[in-house]
Amino acid sequence: MYSQRITIQNEAGLHARPASDFTRAAMKFQSDIKIGPADGAARVSAKSILMILGMGMDKGTEVEIIAEGEDEKEAVEHLVALIQSGFGE
Amino acid sequence: MTLTGNPVSPGVAVGPLYVYRPKTMAITEAILRPEAVEAELARLHDVKAAAAREIRGIARSLQAQDPRNAKIFDAHEDILNDRILMEEVTRAIRDEGRAGDWAIQMAFDRFAAMLNRVDNPVIRERAADLQDVCARLLRLWHGVEEKGLAHLHQPVILAARDLLPSDTAALDRGKVLAILTEMGGAASHTAILARGYRIPAVLGIADLLAQVQHGDLAAVDAQTGTILLSPTDQELQALRAREASDRAEAERTRAFLPIKPLTADGRMVELGLNIGTGSDDELAYREYADFVGLFRTEFLYMSAPALPEEERQYSAYRNVLSAFGEKPVTLRTLDIGGDKAPKCLPLPREDNPFLGSRALRLCFARPDLFRTQLRAALRASVYGNLWLMLPMVSSLDDIRKARAIIASVHRELTEEGIAVSERYKVGAMIETPSMALIPDLMVDEVDFASIGTNDLCQYLMAADRLNPAVAEYYQLYHPALFRAVECSANAFAAAGKPLSICGELGGDPLAAAVFVGMGIRKLSMGPASLAAVKQMLSRLTTAQARALAQTVTGLSSAGEIEAYLKSKLI
Repeated sequence: MYSQRITIQNEAGLHARPASDFTRAAMKFQSDIKIGPADGAARVSAKSILMILGMGMDKGTEVEIIAEGEDEKEAVEHLVALIQSGFGE
Repeated sequence: MTLTGNPVSPGVAVGPLYVYRPKTMAITEAILRPEAVEAELARLHDVKAAAAREIRGIARSLQAQDPRNAKIFDAHEDILNDRILMEEVTRAIRDEGRAGDWAIQMAFDRFAAMLNRVDNPVIRERAADLQDVCARLLRLWHGVEEKGLAHLHQPVILAARDLLPSDTAALDRGKVLAILTEMGGAASHTAILARGYRIPAVLGIADLLAQVQHGDLAAVDAQTGTILLSPTDQELQALRAREASDRAEAERTRAFLPIKPLTADGRMVELGLNIGTGSDDELAYREYADFVGLFRTEFLYMSAPALPEEERQYSAYRNVLSAFGEKPVTLRTLDIGGDKAPKCLPLPREDNPFLGSRALRLCFARPDLFRTQLRAALRASVYGNLWLMLPMVSSLDDIRKARAIIASVHRELTEEGIAVSERYKVGAMIETPSMALIPDLMVDEVDFASIGTNDLCQYLMAADRLNPAVAEYYQLYHPALFRAVECSANAFAAAGKPLSICGELGGDPLAAAVFVGMGIRKLSMGPASLAAVKQMLSRLTTAQARALAQTVTGLSSAGEIEAYLKSKLI
């Protein structure tokens, strides 16, 4: 298992297009990947756009990304970098 | 017979009704025999693949002519690929033995319910996308052909219970005269599409389908939201006349909106936008305007559940400032009062709210509000060309006091290491009679000013502009108003400082002609007025405008002035 924390930076939060970019990126990896607010217990699949939208992660939320599987380290690092880039907004 | 609904896209249309009833699929509410489960799962896999192919095809074909609509189908593809959603369907088939279409319907319903519980209305809209993808999967499951609105044989008025993105993806735009639905509001997909395609639309018509017949003649008035079924000749004539004048107006807009606002003798008059929220619709006009003459900031407070924090305000201001780049954005500080207190800011009842603690006076009484807004504005100033404007100024003391507070906020930010633009301007509105009478003294205290003709007229005429009992006493063309503008124009021209008109009269072509004749070179208005004012300017030389102004200032009543202007300019 591998995990990292990162704060959501782009204006719209993890909604709409960023959520779409995020799940499409997550699906490239084999591992089971979960995401959720760092200060809470809820974790949802990073490969489910509906669960991510349902969580409503706004700008400023610190989230934790956890992956379990063969490419777990790559997966987490890639997704963290994606969030850090602000999704090009 | 007349039906009514919510008009969401303007216009008028007359034509035969086309009642669109997409087939609803009957779900197989059956439990499978264990041996049938594998085949059902395989069928799910095939149907999902077919759906993906259809969706990608639509997205591709829309990409060229309608990229915004195409994005919706990217979102549909995301939904189709949602792991958890598909696992849910698979589980229902494999572990509970439900028929495939039943499993699909149940899973989609569950997720739609989940999305509907989220606070954010943008996310709730996604429930409609879920419905659309579900309908596609069910249609493919049952092997039914996609019967779209792509091939309409004649121009029709579309009537449906609801229109999903898939229904309208291949819409034969040229043949749709108007859209009527039972469901949907101003923010629905249908409304956005109708506005984008400039098709008149009325939504939320209760029991529409029960009351109309395919082929019936209907007349739609999407200004008022009324639909006349089987209209009389008279009704038709009236509506067709409206349709013709709407078309003429649209023609004019097309012709004049994009041109430079020059008088007939080539003099530039800067035209600005009055905006209320900085929405995409408003910002879309930015290439047709030279500046923002009035950025109203009350929207941040009006329907907010709590006072808007600095971050939220900063974000909104930054958005508008960066959208306009080098073009000045005149941000008016909070201008509300006891007459229309927002929920997040309960204000004490006053007997005369328009003469009470409102706007700048309220900001002085509530420095927390004022400083928060100023901090947000000054922080945002680095992203564009900020002109801060103070409303309801009644004395030079007000201006001096406000400028001191602005300077203190600027210092505070600098001490915190936060960047503030070096070049923002500070100005005030001329809307109280006291300021209108001393523009020569005022001009030394400000970088610029703007005349708020609505409130100025109200205070000059001593008539509440919202009170129908005294509507006849609120006279926008009263000579006093024109003289006030002339006085201010002279004072500001002498000092070489910018003066604009941001009240309603600035967007009135007749009044605009007079103002230009008085030397005003900046007029700000709602986007809908830009084309008409540009047209007026193009027909007038500055000499002609000056002659108009000279005559107008000698006339003694609003009626005379109006008659004179109409005779000369229309």
